[in-house]
Amino acid sequence: MKTKCVVIGIGNPYLQDDRAGVVVAEQLERDGLACQIEVVHTVGLEVMDKVQGFERAIIVDACKLGNAPGSILEVTMDDIFTTHALVNSHAITLGTTLKTGYVCFPEEMPSEIRILLIEVKEIKEFTQQMSPEVERAVAEVVERIKGMVGAMAT
Amino acid sequence: MKKIEINPMTRLEGHGKIAIFLDDNGNVDDAFFQTVEFRGYEKFLQGMPMEEVPRTVSTVCGVCRGVHFTAAMKASDGVFGVTPTSAGRKLRELYFSSHYVEDHTVILYALAFPDFVVGPEANPAERNVVGLINAVGAATGKEVLRRRSLAVKIFELLGGKPSHPVAALPGGWSKQLTEEERKQIEAWSEELVGLGELTLKVFDDVVLKNDKYMQLVTGDMYKVEVGYMGSVNDQGQVAYYDGTQKVIDSAGKVVGTFKGKEYLDFISERVLPWSYLKFPYQKKLGAWKGIVEGPGTNIYAVGPLARMNIAQGMDTPKAQAHFERFHATFGARPVHHILAYHWARAIELLNAAEKCLALSRDPEITSKDIWNKPTSCPGEGVGIIEASRGTLIHHYVTDSKGIVTDANLIVSTTHNNAPINLAVKKAAKHFIKNGEVSQGMLNYVEMAFRPYDLCLACATHTVNGGQSPLEVEIFDSNGGLYKTLKNF
Repeated sequence: MKTKCVVIGIGNPYLQDDRAGVVVAEQLERDGLACQIEVVHTVGLEVMDKVQGFERAIIVDACKLGNAPGSILEVTMDDIFTTHALVNSHAITLGTTLKTGYVCFPEEMPSEIRILLIEVKEIKEFTQQMSPEVERAVAEVVERIKGMVGAMAT
Repeated sequence: MKKIEINPMTRLEGHGKIAIFLDDNGNVDDAFFQTVEFRGYEKFLQGMPMEEVPRTVSTVCGVCRGVHFTAAMKASDGVFGVTPTSAGRKLRELYFSSHYVEDHTVILYALAFPDFVVGPEANPAERNVVGLINAVGAATGKEVLRRRSLAVKIFELLGGKPSHPVAALPGGWSKQLTEEERKQIEAWSEELVGLGELTLKVFDDVVLKNDKYMQLVTGDMYKVEVGYMGSVNDQGQVAYYDGTQKVIDSAGKVVGTFKGKEYLDFISERVLPWSYLKFPYQKKLGAWKGIVEGPGTNIYAVGPLARMNIAQGMDTPKAQAHFERFHATFGARPVHHILAYHWARAIELLNAAEKCLALSRDPEITSKDIWNKPTSCPGEGVGIIEASRGTLIHHYVTDSKGIVTDANLIVSTTHNNAPINLAVKKAAKHFIKNGEVSQGMLNYVEMAFRPYDLCLACATHTVNGGQSPLEVEIFDSNGGLYKTLKNF
């Protein structure tokens, strides 16, 4: 029997806007969201481990895709699945780790995954201070996820 | 010889760049690999309480989280002048060994095996982890991934927190193991040993029994003759968590051994204008001689192959049998064939799994005596470990309150910077002839640095449409840009 929902925030908590996903997850936990909350610091196979056993998963990560800083994108697994041969083992993408999960563990993976990306402005320095654009996006994503989870409950 | 100037990449963290220069005949004259410098973590750590450092540096890299954590934890022992209890040390080793199993599994199956199982000349769209699973079958892929997840479970159970560990204490470990947990870890470890054996069988079936691949493994195009460094235990066997650093030259002659702060007597770092990444070299073999291989070079490499070369054997029986077969296959030592890194990594996977099993059965592993409380004034500490990718050094100086005033981190990819450049140049020279270059050639060049498993994007993972992008720029003999190949 799968548990209902997991929210996973991905990011480096010390790397400027890259921490956006982590901050979203931490805020949702503080707000008492009725959902399993997880934080991971990379998009490797760990994400596949974390979503298994849940009916639904919501994943929040930072992105750098050339949009205006603070833009919020909702993408599908296929949108972010890349087929490049890896330069190193750190380069496993979120799309690849999720697709790997659906190939190997189809019965244990969520029936629905929502992926929210927040476009970064700065990811060069080690600081816990995000840019104002990403701060605003984080607040918006927190509310959006509350709405998603609320809709699941009804 | 024309002057070569290459501006380091700054566009995106984790962006690697290879510049290849052709001569008048379109053959490779020179080649360089560039990446950004390790990104200022040393500065960030200054002003931080030393006891917070292991937890913080575990975020240096989302993948290598356990290795930075362990190196900093060992350094914190030195800073606080305390030695871990026997049980505390064993818990640390068990934790670290499980991390090895997880990390080596990912490196082998996601990075190394696609080149061999799917094929080095296969469609790039298939030459990845999903393509690998399609080739070997979902059932096999599932079994490998399931067993890998058991290593992660041990790692998280001992580390005290999902993903990033928090159990480090100067002088020991904060998480005592219950008998119930021990039994669980023992059962999981038995499966990890099976994972190690399966992995070596895959390597045997796919690579060792394939003449074409063995020509690559034993060929000169992937041979880099440098010195090596790694840790050994009191019996001269490969050690990961703790040991004595042993350094050999390119002929296998022992240059020396050292511990802790003595690394400063053995390693110097050279700064070159075209790269943010420093180039370490063996100080005992003289001043910087350039990025050169062969007799007399003071360039050295670290990682699984280096450990096979500096050690007398492995400390577990199954891995020892494979160690002997490894060296019997190549004959002469040291082994300079860099594709052998993958074989060495598979042997270490089995070795680490056997260590997990042995430690889980150690009666002391559930002892309550897991922490020696520090009593002396803080000062200075060096933590040296063998990370999955090679020697990792963390060196900290604190004030009298234990606040970090100086930090120095030398990571595996930095140690391997010069050998990687040599490897890329050699592969490029072999595969590019008469100005004919193709996308397929990019993979053969990539195969020259995949064995080192570069830590390019160490502290960031931001979705950028295809991570760790690699760009190859090829210049003609007049310095003009002849062709650009990208994997992004």
